[in-house]
Amino acid sequence: MSELERALQQLGRELEFPREPDLRGRVRGRIERRRRLRRSLVFAVALVAVAFGIAMAVPQARSAILRFFHIGAVTIEHVGTLPAAQERRLAAGLGSPLGLDAAEELSGVPLVLHGPRPRNYYARPGLIATLLRVEDTPVLLAELAGDQVGIVKKLVPGTSRVESADIGEFGLYVTGGPHVLYWREGELRPRLAGNVLIWLEGGRTYRLEGDLHKGRLLRLARDITR
Amino acid sequence: MVGRPLDESDLIGRAQRGDTHAYEELVHAYQGIAFRTAYVIARNAADAEDAAQEGFVKAWRALGRFRAGAPFRPWLLQIVANEARNRRRSAGRREHLALRAAAEEPSGGAAPSPEAALLSAETREALLAAVNELPDDQREVVALRYFLGLSEAEVAETLGVPHGTVKSRNARALERLRGLDV
Repeated sequence: MSELERALQQLGRELEFPREPDLRGRVRGRIERRRRLRRSLVFAVALVAVAFGIAMAVPQARSAILRFFHIGAVTIEHVGTLPAAQERRLAAGLGSPLGLDAAEELSGVPLVLHGPRPRNYYARPGLIATLLRVEDTPVLLAELAGDQVGIVKKLVPGTSRVESADIGEFGLYVTGGPHVLYWREGELRPRLAGNVLIWLEGGRTYRLEGDLHKGRLLRLARDITR
Repeated sequence: MVGRPLDESDLIGRAQRGDTHAYEELVHAYQGIAFRTAYVIARNAADAEDAAQEGFVKAWRALGRFRAGAPFRPWLLQIVANEARNRRRSAGRREHLALRAAAEEPSGGAAPSPEAALLSAETREALLAAVNELPDDQREVVALRYFLGLSEAEVAETLGVPHGTVKSRNARALERLRGLDV
């Protein structure tokens, strides 16, 4: 070790760091709140399942329930026939690429992305997105603040499949045939979309889209928010 | 340098099985180094506190994916460092590392200890100012490596970069600091 390195070590011993907080109580509180929330959710899901079972016995209620459901800022709508839409590039309709600071300012959403940062970002108020490369496969990551609807997906049951996904507070994986994606219905031209993982975590809706299987998208998702 | 509890793997195992008391002991053992790591990255005490807290909560949620037998400290610090980096970009005021008041004062005529004799007060100030002015990627490596006492491997894992990148950033930082003739 050089003299300079020893001098730096000595300097480190003489630094004035702010007083270290005792985090035990707050961390324990957060963990316990989360556990209580999960228990409440399990109970609520059980109640919903019972109510759902009852409602499904009524034909008119059944068709309405099956038509729409929301996950955070995303609405999934079941339709009989897909609306007209084209295959377009993943970032189509999201505007011009921006630097991270500009995209965060425009969207008002600080990006959560652990790991290497791409160069380009896309933004609309309440939404920030970027293209990742996973083993040479492009994957679009979009993050939406809050639960105001920002994305509408229309799919045909039987052609597209919606599966639950074990991530965040609630997750879904959409696969099978293509579905139609509107970034915000009425404002942008729709496009066809493929495999998508959507999940809720910390008041934010995450969406990952790319030609990857569910397990790979889940691993990527966990790396992004770890 | 913060010591590791002797029964760390046992605590981790219990925490992985959902024992919050075991995890609390891990938080107690690592909250100092976690806060300091967050502070040298975020350069703001409030952001560092938030980042360390959020890092511990996320680490709890990710414990199921922690490999048994792997070193816990750099794994945890990587999560905390990511949180600190996310906060740094949106943070307003950025604080500089400073010397303790006692370290700035002359020895008052008493014979300096061999350690204190290594650097004069002026040199310490100049060296610290130069570290504070390094580019973020180099400053982080210097602070984690020398101020917080992490090994190069731990610095690499904490910052999520290859070992070679840590070496090159460190070398560039030392090269700049050598200009001070310490």
